[in-house]
Amino acid sequence: MKIDQISEDGIRRLVDEFYARVRADTELAPIFYRAIPGDWGLHLATMRDFWSSVMLTSGRYKGNPVAVHLRIEGMEPRLFDRWLELFSDTCGELFDESLAESLRAKALRIAESLKLALFYRPDRPWPRSVP
Amino acid sequence: MAEERTLTFIVTDNCIKCKYMDCVEVCPVDCFYEGENMLVIHPDECIDCGVCEPECPAEAIFPDTKPGLESWLKLNADYALVWPNITIKRDPPADAKEFDGVSGKFERYFSPNPGQGD
Repeated sequence: MKIDQISEDGIRRLVDEFYARVRADTELAPIFYRAIPGDWGLHLATMRDFWSSVMLTSGRYKGNPVAVHLRIEGMEPRLFDRWLELFSDTCGELFDESLAESLRAKALRIAESLKLALFYRPDRPWPRSVP
Repeated sequence: MAEERTLTFIVTDNCIKCKYMDCVEVCPVDCFYEGENMLVIHPDECIDCGVCEPECPAEAIFPDTKPGLESWLKLNADYALVWPNITIKRDPPADAKEFDGVSGKFERYFSPNPGQGD
């Protein structure tokens, strides 16, 4: 049965399942393995804290994701689109439609904000990504 | 001048002299900065997650997609650079409730002075 209410356990399953897919994805795996060469356990714990903060307002994550992403070499806008695709698929499989949609909406806002921070230049047009 | 593009939430008028600070506890990216009598959000650090919006007892936080907030966006961006970061909630001003909902607070009460920060 699909999960219909968000909880710490649901977030743990989402993060575990989603990053298993990331690590198996031909587009995303290379940059993720470059950025996280060592302990994935730590990264997964960080991401659980992050999503717990965003979905359950637990305040557990404290960090600066813009700065973290700025340090990663080889970032490209299309990688965000692929990330969102995998995230959306994972949400659809684990959660009922309304919960999946609220997670997708959060992810899309955050991705768009990070993309602006990383790639926006005032002298170039900005294409908004389509959900 | 080149147009700035951000996706951010913005602190507006009703924060002034209310400064409840519930937002700073839930913000995952610590992007609140404290003035003497209000808070602002650093637009380049905010990741647009929206967690703070429903937490504000004064309903002073809005997404920048809401029309008419251009001057508030500028105020948030400008003062986030000079006010200290705040991540830990303190007691709000004793008279916060009396000022909650009072209109036109900016003209009467806004202070450009920094707050104490963490």
